[in-house]
Amino acid sequence: MANPSWGMVIDNDKCTGCNACVIACQSENNIPINEEDHFTQRRPIQWIRIERYWEGEFPNVKARFIPVLCQHCADAPCEPVCPVYATYHNDQGLNVQVYNRCIGTRFCANGCPYQVRHFNFWEPEWPDSLENQLNPDVTVRTRGIMEKCTFCVQRIQRTKRESEKNNTSIKDGDRQLNPACVNGCATDALVFGDFNNPESKVSKMKKKELGHGGHGDHSDHDGHEEHDEKRGYHLLEEYGTHPSVVYLKKVDYESKTVEKH
Amino acid sequence: MIPGDFQFYKPPKNKLILFGVIGFIGFVIFIGVALLATFHISSWIDKPVIFAAEAPDQPIAFPHTVHVQELGLDCTFCHTNVTKGASASIPAVNLCMSCHTQLGDGSTEIEKLRDIHAKQDVIQWTRVHRMPDHVRFIHEAHVKRFSGSRQVVEKITDSSNQIRIIEAKVINPNAKIGETLDIAASGTCSICHGDVSKMHKVEQVRTLKMSDCVDCHRENNGPTDCTTCHY
Repeated sequence: MANPSWGMVIDNDKCTGCNACVIACQSENNIPINEEDHFTQRRPIQWIRIERYWEGEFPNVKARFIPVLCQHCADAPCEPVCPVYATYHNDQGLNVQVYNRCIGTRFCANGCPYQVRHFNFWEPEWPDSLENQLNPDVTVRTRGIMEKCTFCVQRIQRTKRESEKNNTSIKDGDRQLNPACVNGCATDALVFGDFNNPESKVSKMKKKELGHGGHGDHSDHDGHEEHDEKRGYHLLEEYGTHPSVVYLKKVDYESKTVEKH
Repeated sequence: MIPGDFQFYKPPKNKLILFGVIGFIGFVIFIGVALLATFHISSWIDKPVIFAAEAPDQPIAFPHTVHVQELGLDCTFCHTNVTKGASASIPAVNLCMSCHTQLGDGSTEIEKLRDIHAKQDVIQWTRVHRMPDHVRFIHEAHVKRFSGSRQVVEKITDSSNQIRIIEAKVINPNAKIGETLDIAASGTCSICHGDVSKMHKVEQVRTLKMSDCVDCHRENNGPTDCTTCHY
């Protein structure tokens, strides 16, 4: 079987902005606690963050949420700029950050249009009471290196190992395989899976909402009549980074009726 | 100045002492730097030749020689997790006490063990094999890869006199090429850990540097993607 191409579909219509994915990610991936000071210096580490936008004037104001994580771009702007090859694309469609290679030039963070790469400006610290909650499967990153979302590669590797052991294939939507953010999502707004497997949920959603399934097929919308029925888009599509994360736009029934009448 | 009038400068006594002290301090610093450099450079290239060269002392001088060589215990008898998970696991004191409540009266080391058990304490072993934090080594996967029914394909001995495993090549030096062997899980440990059954104090045999891992992975068609071990 071909190598998997891991990817995610994020349904903005389902996202309530509850930040459960952010907390799940922090606890799964040993991300240090962001204090207020880190936010005021604009140096918090959040592998997935909820971007919040306000729409409309006061009485009819609407909150819009977009969960933003590393898009694992097929043509990632962060990869060619690394002088030590610490970030590269592996055969499973993952944009990998190799911590022990990283020397902290931060070129990749400057190249990333999604602002999802985070630099460790400080030595990570946890209160003593939280020392035992650290995930032993994830490296604790030291000061001076770059880190970002890995699609919880430790979970992918573990599932792969388990499936090899039991001679089974990796199940689509397996909770052991899913990244922490997907498991933490209360409304199933985040869906994780293999884009190379046409039977997977993400492939079907991508085919339905974006008009083309499978990875590597990045043809533009072919001006189909039901174009506005399709909700899929990539974040900052115009940069041509070909992300592995597909977003489904929010359906706003009120504004739709206003437009039609 | 008249020729022949030259006289050696004779420093006063207090200055001589000062020079001596400065010279001595400089010499000590030089020796210190040289020792540190020897330690770091040697451990960078291979294994350290000073300071950490010998096997560390353990709180209880546990003899693998007695337990493995003489009693013939399997590695997995104590290191139970080695076939189940990432870590090989150190046995609990209770497992030791399942025999040593009865056996080994009069030995000081076993009295230490009984003291620890009576205090409901754990044995603070000194760790011998430690991977850096950014390396994930899964014992289970490696044991599974090399145990079971294997055919001897090829056997080479490299410069460091360690038998490397290629495909189904086995640690058994008497095995002939083409022969099929049934390898128990404990038969694979010595590939990396050396012959622990003959060690009085457990020491690290291979350097266990990344080149060591990657060489073996290449020879045995293991995955060499970075995410195999680093995440």
